[in-house]
Amino acid sequence: MSPSQPKQPSNVKIILFMVILSFICALVLSSLASILQQPKEIAKELDRSKQMMIAAKILSHEGYFLIQNEQGEYDPAKFVEGGALIPGNKTDIASRDELLQVYKKRIVPYLVNDKGELATFEEEGINEKEYVNEYKKTGYYKLPQKLVYEILPNFEPGGEQKETPNGYVIPVNGFGLWDAIYGYLAVKPDGDTVIGIAWYDQKETPGLGANIADAPWQSLFPGKKIFQESPSGETDFKTAPIGITVVKGKVTEVLGDVPKAKSAVDGMSGATLTGNGVTDAYKDVLSAYRPFFIKIHDEEEGS
Amino acid sequence: MTHKPPNLSYFTSQLWSGNQILVAVLGICSALGVTNRLSVSITMGLSVCFVTGCSSFIVSLLRKVTPDSVRMITQLAVIAVFVTIIDQFLQAYFYSFSKVLSVFVGLIITNCLVMGRAESMARNVEPIPAFLDGLGAGIGYMLVICAVGAIRELFGFGQLLGYQVVPLSWYATAENPNAYENFALMVSPPAAFFIIGLMIGGFKLLQKEEPA
Repeated sequence: MSPSQPKQPSNVKIILFMVILSFICALVLSSLASILQQPKEIAKELDRSKQMMIAAKILSHEGYFLIQNEQGEYDPAKFVEGGALIPGNKTDIASRDELLQVYKKRIVPYLVNDKGELATFEEEGINEKEYVNEYKKTGYYKLPQKLVYEILPNFEPGGEQKETPNGYVIPVNGFGLWDAIYGYLAVKPDGDTVIGIAWYDQKETPGLGANIADAPWQSLFPGKKIFQESPSGETDFKTAPIGITVVKGKVTEVLGDVPKAKSAVDGMSGATLTGNGVTDAYKDVLSAYRPFFIKIHDEEEGS
Repeated sequence: MTHKPPNLSYFTSQLWSGNQILVAVLGICSALGVTNRLSVSITMGLSVCFVTGCSSFIVSLLRKVTPDSVRMITQLAVIAVFVTIIDQFLQAYFYSFSKVLSVFVGLIITNCLVMGRAESMARNVEPIPAFLDGLGAGIGYMLVICAVGAIRELFGFGQLLGYQVVPLSWYATAENPNAYENFALMVSPPAAFFIIGLMIGGFKLLQKEEPA
């Protein structure tokens, strides 16, 4: 110790110093937390809406809107007043307000019962916000009245919005390697073909399991079938195994050309356990929605 | 060195001749983790600047009252407060960045360069030089990780800050399979390891040429 430094203070002084320091730190942090509480919740909510629109292919991962052209491909779109989307280009990044407006216009929450029938929250007399927050952790699929979001089609600027849905978004949750994972899966009105997926809340290993939240891996899902086809090429919706399997390795190498390959995606190397968690989540959640898928599939066939 | 160097020299020496990554090889873990996109590197760099600057300032303010036996804990507490502030702020206003940075923001606490500045500089000098020294260390760190981020994004994705830089017409297509392709290694963390290694090597060579 250099001579210029003061003598070592007594233990009481040291403890007193630490107590005061901790107290000040705690005071600063807790007041900050309470100030930022609201903006944080709004940011989280916005991200959830964004992820749902990414699953439903209304929004791209890069942040511009998407519309389907006549060939069924997705093109960049831009926002016009009223919530309609018109062809645009990749530089038309959606703003916060635009996102919320389009979300409000195009995504409608419903409750679905055990027979697969839809009802709005008002019809059931349930508060949507409370329901969504309260059952996020347990999983909506375990409830008698499950949550489902209808995707409405894009409409002409100034024109009427059509009522026939473009598809449905199912909230999915399960367990990854470290913690619970929450996401969405969007299916076409045939109740079988995947439009897209998203994972909006996960704590998997960055660089490995956390890739489930990234665009390259999520782009493997569109076009996959949630009901496994039988070898004859038919799908028996009442008995077929349901879900999407994340295989270990590449689908083409592990499964080859069997019908199951249509319900499977490539795994991520170094993230087998996250992959298993994702597989289980899809199996558990989608099985619970089976009556709903059968019903919309039959309606689509009938029309 | 003069008896009392001007305040500004604390700042400038951190940028080049005392750069924390290139000379002290501190702060490497986050430099490997968050540099695959330039925008993420910039966010991380700014966060570290804020934390090093402010924590050095406070540590220096407290230097006369801090008992020597608990100085590390004190420094850690001060650093942790600023890291939590920046983490909360990112979550509230830059949610998408906070998702990408995930654990790395929290890990600024253990970023060796912050503690390094607090221990080796801030507790020995006045608050203003300490602040400048911390800020300089943060900016030096930011410059290096931004350079790494730019190289990795350019070669790994063909983009800079999300804008396509490599013309799309250069890319290999089905008709022309021998054309340009993105360098996939650049996207993965080991690429940062090689780039930083080369940068440190190049830096040493440059320093050797300069008369000491």
